[in-house]
Amino acid sequence: MASDKAYGLWKDWKLHVVVLGIVIIAESIGQFSFTIGPGVVLLLPMLYAIVIGLVVFFTPFISEKQAKNAEPLIVLGVALLLAKIGVIIGPSLPEIIAAGPALLLQELGNLGTIFLALPIAIMLGLRREAIGMTHSVAREPNVGLIMDKFGINSPEGRGVMAVYIFGTVFGAVFMGLIAGFLATLTPLSPLSFAMASGIGSGSMMAAASGSLVGSFPEMEDSIVAFAGASNLLSLSTGLYLSIFVGLPLTEKLYAFMMRRKERKNNA
Amino acid sequence: MLKNIQEWTLLLCIFGISALFGNWLGYDTAPMTAVPGMIVLILICLAGFILSDLIPIQFPSVAYIAIIGILVSMPWTPGAEYIVTWTNEIELLALTTPILAYAGISIGRSWADFARLGWRTLIVASLVLLGTFIGSALIAEVVLRFQGII
Repeated sequence: MASDKAYGLWKDWKLHVVVLGIVIIAESIGQFSFTIGPGVVLLLPMLYAIVIGLVVFFTPFISEKQAKNAEPLIVLGVALLLAKIGVIIGPSLPEIIAAGPALLLQELGNLGTIFLALPIAIMLGLRREAIGMTHSVAREPNVGLIMDKFGINSPEGRGVMAVYIFGTVFGAVFMGLIAGFLATLTPLSPLSFAMASGIGSGSMMAAASGSLVGSFPEMEDSIVAFAGASNLLSLSTGLYLSIFVGLPLTEKLYAFMMRRKERKNNA
Repeated sequence: MLKNIQEWTLLLCIFGISALFGNWLGYDTAPMTAVPGMIVLILICLAGFILSDLIPIQFPSVAYIAIIGILVSMPWTPGAEYIVTWTNEIELLALTTPILAYAGISIGRSWADFARLGWRTLIVASLVLLGTFIGSALIAEVVLRFQGII
């Protein structure tokens, strides 16, 4: 647990008061939505909270120390969120078991990044960095996997770190904006997107499923239950999927595309 | 161990207070109505942290917490209806707002690294998230339709 080492985080009253202030401001502003074509973009208080938090970081209210102390608090907040998700899954357990096959198989959809992002990365002129960048969503376990296999100063390592940083800073906002938008834009069911929200990152899952709940409030319990169950599956199986399928597949596809590119250049 | 429990409890309570304020302002649930649900959630978290401390196998504490939450609210568990009624007073979105507020403050530290990422990284990283999300949604859609659930 992150709080094993650091004691007395509760004494950082300045940090907690700032967060309470951010929550009060964000929730008072409330939800807004606007449409782009047939899709709806939903602006939720949690998105204002992340932006205000980032802005406050650059003011004298918050020092480097407080920003560091905020990290274990995210873990605790996600713990509370998962307790809440647990008590939503519990009553819907029969429904979840019925949807078990979909839940298990959609985990394979996490490989979608390889087919969408890798070809474009190569087209943009990225080389071995692309393997680190596109083999997974690059959360902590996957950063570990790439570092372990290729080393921290390898191109693959730089690639996975770049996507990791992007996800850390922008992931929740990005998922929060596109989840509701895609669910209103495409004919796919919000329940399918709910399962897709569980990509193995607590804050991204919270943002994506939150924006789905905001767009389809009548389906709240099913959305949260499916997103939560899928995130649990991603957390427990994601690394193995990467080790045995994702990373080998990325390397194969990379080698194949580079060979084709060379042949084209020689011809 | 005792010191850990004390620290966790205090921090969860501080976090809970922020969430109760958000729950009140954003979703019109008076803090007093929501307190029992928050206490239940905090107790579930504490149980999960303690379990993951006691059990020596490597298993994330958040997974214990989710599993305990499921177990205490299953239709077959006696008393589950109280747990469900109380925790229903806490909106999911009221919990995500303080999480992302702390996240916003902490990502300030990564901002310099973020600003140094090139435009190609931004495109590829967006496609990584998009590809994962759409890939999973497509498979889920096919299987759910095949099963006749949607």
